[in-house]
Amino acid sequence: MSRRTFPQREERHDDTLAFICRFTDRRTGGPYAPRGRHAIFRLKLAPLSATLLLAGCSGPHNWLSGAGREAMRIEALFWPLLIGAGLIWTAVMTLAVVAYRTAEKGGTERQVRAYVVWGGVVFPAVVLTGLLATGLLTLRGIAAQPAAHTVAVDGEQWWWRVRYEGPEGPVVSANEIRLPRGETVRFELTSDDVIHSFWAPAIGGKMDLIPGRTTQLTLTPEKTGSWGGICAEFCGSAHAQMLFRLVVMEPEAYARWLADEARPAQATGPGLEVFLDEGCGACHSIRGTKAQGPVGPDLTHFAGRETLGAGIRPVSRTALRNWIRYPEAIKPGVRMPGYPDMPDARLDRLVDYLMALK
Amino acid sequence: MRYPRLIDDRSIWIMVAPSVIWAAHFLLCYWIAAIWCAKEAADGSAPLQPVTWTVAGVTLVALGLIWALARHAWGRYGGSLFITRTIADDRAQERKHFLGHVALLLCALHTLAVIFTALPVLVFDRCW
Repeated sequence: MSRRTFPQREERHDDTLAFICRFTDRRTGGPYAPRGRHAIFRLKLAPLSATLLLAGCSGPHNWLSGAGREAMRIEALFWPLLIGAGLIWTAVMTLAVVAYRTAEKGGTERQVRAYVVWGGVVFPAVVLTGLLATGLLTLRGIAAQPAAHTVAVDGEQWWWRVRYEGPEGPVVSANEIRLPRGETVRFELTSDDVIHSFWAPAIGGKMDLIPGRTTQLTLTPEKTGSWGGICAEFCGSAHAQMLFRLVVMEPEAYARWLADEARPAQATGPGLEVFLDEGCGACHSIRGTKAQGPVGPDLTHFAGRETLGAGIRPVSRTALRNWIRYPEAIKPGVRMPGYPDMPDARLDRLVDYLMALK
Repeated sequence: MRYPRLIDDRSIWIMVAPSVIWAAHFLLCYWIAAIWCAKEAADGSAPLQPVTWTVAGVTLVALGLIWALARHAWGRYGGSLFITRTIADDRAQERKHFLGHVALLLCALHTLAVIFTALPVLVFDRCW
């Protein structure tokens, strides 16, 4: 076996390796150490960008919060993958730097062949097979399972129609989904217009809503609280404002809430006349009144929700007034017409009525 | 007049064939599972066993074809999986060895790829 020497450093023009060596030489002041002020800036900005990145690891959308069984399965896959990828990356980079710095010593063809066969063929094949098998098993674990409850979710531009199977028939709501803690819920997902995607990162998912099909997803929330949900497939101008809340309650509280939600609206008052006069009932339903429009969100228990406009504003008098007057300013492309010319007194009556729809 | 076979001594097609077998296997598996799940198991509850057995059969055929190609590359082309010298001469014999060598490597790669394609049917037992 002939002994072959590798090219000397001067003969190499590999920008990537030179880039890596700038970091290794930074401390030793070697030939590749960075020069100039920009290097100092880069060092100072590193902790700042790390802080900004880590700031995303909390809140109602945090999929590492352990709030759902399906999200925890993904998390169980994520950490070994991250650590494994980190180890492989470090090993490859170390090898590259060592090879770059010890080029003069050379190596026999047998050694080089062993690197290629074991490091380039056998190792990736084994690792990829393991990853594929683990990924498939995780996927099987989060695929639709038999469930205690069914919730139908219909994606609309740009809000969510929600239908629960209550003990006395279906219960229709919108933009807020309540679930009992510790119980598996099957979501039946459809769409009337374009493809949407249902994702509540803290609990699990995601799954596309495809026109003409019913897709399924099961979620098992494990922590009570109000979690965030989003549409994860671009669906038009207000895609980024197509949010929802996923409220996880204790099972007894959930049963009580569902029974309340099934009742018709209890509120009365002069605001209902304004609602009907302005034609709101052509699009919106309020069970127990003449308003039976099927186009927009059901408002029977509107004020019992946490948000309005599909998760983008809190339910408050101010937000509701602004929404009725200028919905387009809050949600570009929204189908609901604005009522900028409605007299204040009328608007107050309407807002009073809607805020009483608990 | 005797026409040469498509894949024989010095034909370049032996380098394309393993990839074609992998692609055909991939598409067949995809179509079989997609059509079965769309027509027979519209509600997602029907078992996947017929798909599992069909995919297993298609996979065995694909692996058999790749194995036959590998034997061809080894026998007729004189290729070997590992080479110990540089193949650089501009001679018909050298080109043949090179084709055989590359075809053998591709056969090894696509054996793995075909197995990867078939793996999901071992894991899943219904459409969703």
